[in-house]
Amino acid sequence: MADRYSFSLTTFSPSGKLVQIEYALNAVNQGVTALGIKATNGIVLATEKKSSSPLADPSSLSKISLITPNIGMVYSGMGPDYRVLVDRARKVSHTNYKRIYNEYPPTRILVQDVAREVQEATQSGGVRPYGVSLLIAGWDEGILPEEEDTSKTSTDDGEQKKPSGKTGGILKGGPMLYQVDPSGSYFPWKATAIGKSATTAKTFLEKRYTEGLELEDAVHIALLTLKETIEGEMTGDTIEIGIVGPPADHLLGVEGVEGAKGPRFRKLTPQEIEDYLTNL
Amino acid sequence: MPGFDFSNYNRNAALHARGVPLPKATSTGTTIVGCIYDGGVVIAADTRATSGPIVADKNCEKLHYISPNIWCAGAGTAADTEFTTALISSQLELHSLSTGRKPRVVTCMTLLKQHLFRYQGYIGAYLVVAGVDPTGTHLFTVHAHGSTDKLPYVTMGSGSLAAMSVFETQWRPNLTQEDAVKLCSDAILSGIFNDLGSGSNVDVAIITKEKTTLKRNYIKPNERTQKLKSYKFARGTTNVLNEKIIHKADLGNFVTVEEISVTGPGDKMEVDA
Amino acid sequence: MSSPFSINGGACVAMVGKDCVAIACDLRLGLQALTVSNNFPKVFQYGEHVFLGLTGLATDVATVSDLFRYKVNMYRLREERAIAPRTFANLVSSSLYERRFGPYFVSPVVAGLDPKTGEPFICGFDSIGCIDFAKDFIVSGTASDQLFGMCESLWEPNLPAEDLFETISQALLNAVDRDALSGWGAHVYIIEKDKVTKRLLKGRQD
Repeated sequence: MADRYSFSLTTFSPSGKLVQIEYALNAVNQGVTALGIKATNGIVLATEKKSSSPLADPSSLSKISLITPNIGMVYSGMGPDYRVLVDRARKVSHTNYKRIYNEYPPTRILVQDVAREVQEATQSGGVRPYGVSLLIAGWDEGILPEEEDTSKTSTDDGEQKKPSGKTGGILKGGPMLYQVDPSGSYFPWKATAIGKSATTAKTFLEKRYTEGLELEDAVHIALLTLKETIEGEMTGDTIEIGIVGPPADHLLGVEGVEGAKGPRFRKLTPQEIEDYLTNL
Repeated sequence: MPGFDFSNYNRNAALHARGVPLPKATSTGTTIVGCIYDGGVVIAADTRATSGPIVADKNCEKLHYISPNIWCAGAGTAADTEFTTALISSQLELHSLSTGRKPRVVTCMTLLKQHLFRYQGYIGAYLVVAGVDPTGTHLFTVHAHGSTDKLPYVTMGSGSLAAMSVFETQWRPNLTQEDAVKLCSDAILSGIFNDLGSGSNVDVAIITKEKTTLKRNYIKPNERTQKLKSYKFARGTTNVLNEKIIHKADLGNFVTVEEISVTGPGDKMEVDA
Repeated sequence: MSSPFSINGGACVAMVGKDCVAIACDLRLGLQALTVSNNFPKVFQYGEHVFLGLTGLATDVATVSDLFRYKVNMYRLREERAIAPRTFANLVSSSLYERRFGPYFVSPVVAGLDPKTGEPFICGFDSIGCIDFAKDFIVSGTASDQLFGMCESLWEPNLPAEDLFETISQALLNAVDRDALSGWGAHVYIIEKDKVTKRLLKGRQD
């Protein structure tokens, strides 16, 4: 019975706008800045860990989350909404993918699943849109950009070029960085920022970003960008960094399992962040 | 799990009522064992899968991953052991991610027994659950109906009697890791040689606080000897009526996603502002 | 009534060779002792290098092959890539296990080459989705006992495509000659990195 009176809160204004979504974006634009940079051999996600009070215990706060061993996520906007999305993202990566194919979803599939969840909140009865933008970073198995050139020359030496059925999209392996907005739309990026100082950060990234960036350089640029926008001081406890890098086999915990690879996504420890900061 | 699909059930039950036998599932006749030692736990299994009297797989894997620090050895219906452990592994991973703690062996054992009890023994999974977690080293057996046991050394499967005879004669408290591995692999060997449902090789997993070491085909007592002569047929032996060679370029006669170049003919579609 | 697995008859076998795989099936469709058709192939193609063999109850063979056609097409549209044999095998497995308590009466066989590495891949399943990963060969159908014997003696590692064809063909033809419910010709697929060769074999018509 209750659902009969549960109308969508997101309705068109006469001008054709969905103002609830715009309000949600306003919530995002008041959020703490988060950024992501894609390198050739990985991705860095970074954000500020802002505590409202000196009495808060920062060690229990976490804004960058692991979704699957190769995919991580950060947000800008409303923390509680983000936690719901993290839970959903982890769950759908198992129920919609791993329990069917016995492998984790590629980044774009996960991004689409999360974006669907976010979109449904703009059209369903009795709910409000999510007040977060997300940056989702992952590594896909597939043909890496550098391998692609060699594979092309070896297969396409025939007289005529027939369509191989291969496309860009997911067949291309390597690092993937996406942004998901409260409307449910998503965009792939080389580097981007969301939140309060997104515009400033993006201008800074446009100047600093170069093609062929290495992960270490990307971490460096991430910290420099954060430094431009940050209000408080930068320490290992006030900054959070997540990286998608080479498989961390030491985190695997098992030996002798054929084909087992360590997680590519991991969060840097405060000590590791301090080390990067001293070299800044 | 979204649940099982029973839409063929009535058809199959009607056939069964008319005297059609039930399908033969691959079962792991199996010898599986586990043994706690000072500093960890060892589980071991043979590698034979059977379908009735036929050896379906000579080198299958019966040690199932649950989490890095928890592993399961499975006997019974092979598909059930495979999917039950995969399901609980998935649930534990999500649980571990949301709690930020390492999964515990009792949690795993409880999830397994609740799942199996719900299905009243129809899911034919008989499991040895072993692991090390922050609360210590644990070893359990879980039966298909949902009952569990907690013991320092356990055996299951059709070779359990042969394996248990080894434990009952040779087990002693405070084993070292080497002793435990030897004891477990001896128990499996006893199953391999004395039980027809078990055979081929010995797989061992050693679980400690630090890491799990899987020793796949730790002992291979039944290696096939090289054939002395080749039975290769001369090329052209087989009478071919018709031949069709499909080259790679022509293989795209399926649903194919192709990128259409932007510079192609026609107007670009207006998608978005 | 006999087992649903032996009403229609049929046999299927897959083998690993050197940088190639082979999958073959007989062509008989029967209703117990009555042969209805001698052109009922049981091997289906789902991608450049992904093949599925299905033996068992013919109605389920048709249903299951169409079901996976649908699932694989949806995968291609969703992921913009062809499904890899190993991924396909896991899809087959989970789809069959979903019907754990009301199974399709089929014994599938998957054969293919990994699209990235070109590595040979074969596996077999029971009717409820337990995967049998094999490094040598997989058999299924009413002639599976005979095929086990043939393959166990004829198969050897690292056979080149031409020799693999002779081996799998002779294994299948001679196995089905000792099975009343299988035979009546055969299809053999030899799958290599840059080409797939499909051959129709002459077999006894009795």
